[in-house]
Amino acid sequence: MVDDNGQLYTIEGVAAGMIMLMTAYLVLGATSVYTPGDTHISDMQLEQLGTDALRMMNTPVNGTTESTLQEIVENDDANAFNTQFLNFVNSKTGTERDNLHYNATITYYHSDVINNIHTTASLPLASNRNLTGGEHPVRVTEWVIADKQFPGSVNHPRAVLVEVLLWRD
Amino acid sequence: MAGLNDDAQWIVMMGFVVSFSFFFLAMLLNQSTVVGQTTAEGVLEFPKNDIRDVRSVITESSTLSLSDADAQVIKDDIRTIALSRKGAVVDYTITPPTGSDLYTHISIHYNNGVTEYNENWTSP
Repeated sequence: MVDDNGQLYTIEGVAAGMIMLMTAYLVLGATSVYTPGDTHISDMQLEQLGTDALRMMNTPVNGTTESTLQEIVENDDANAFNTQFLNFVNSKTGTERDNLHYNATITYYHSDVINNIHTTASLPLASNRNLTGGEHPVRVTEWVIADKQFPGSVNHPRAVLVEVLLWRD
Repeated sequence: MAGLNDDAQWIVMMGFVVSFSFFFLAMLLNQSTVVGQTTAEGVLEFPKNDIRDVRSVITESSTLSLSDADAQVIKDDIRTIALSRKGAVVDYTITPPTGSDLYTHISIHYNNGVTEYNENWTSP
């Protein structure tokens, strides 16, 4: 006959062991998602900042004038874009400046009926640093209606998309 | 269970209580990190700015009093660029004021495969 002493201790030992294993599994599983979660939060803030800056630039001072961004697109004014955009995104409380970099392009619809080309194409607008591939940029965009002719068409005004890659280093 | 020593049951029970509370604390810790990630991902993926942007460019184009041909050019631009650069199908119809109706009506449709947005906009 089997000695049936100590059954409760055995059950307790097994239960305690399982609880410890499950706890260790949960804690180790939790730490592995910590870094990507963090990255997304700063991406989200950077995207909001860039979108706000572009929207401010695309807001006219009154109903009859053009917005700054419209004028920049129509005149291809890289210097004005560079000055104003960096001024908006790098402003911080106090005298310290933030250190954001950007690369801006204009995307337009290239519709050439004669040569049968219907595609979107991009023109460089401005940038204050080249992308080397090591950065982690976010993309922010703003629609602009510009009274300007783009390659492949004589029509104007045209709707174009100003796309900005924005990153911090 | 003959001969089992049933002293110290309180100690055994408190041991269980403490270990279960550790277990639930670990579960909370596990969930809390995922919450930060999913919130940020949700904000990044929901095309709030895309929709607001496309709305504003469409309403802006309706205020420019363009000819039909120019309005069609703008519409082709918006639809093609939205599809190729944003992965979103955008369509809209502008109904200008007619006789008794003094307001411009625009019906806007936006769909990027995950989020669908439809609006009937009326000029103020």
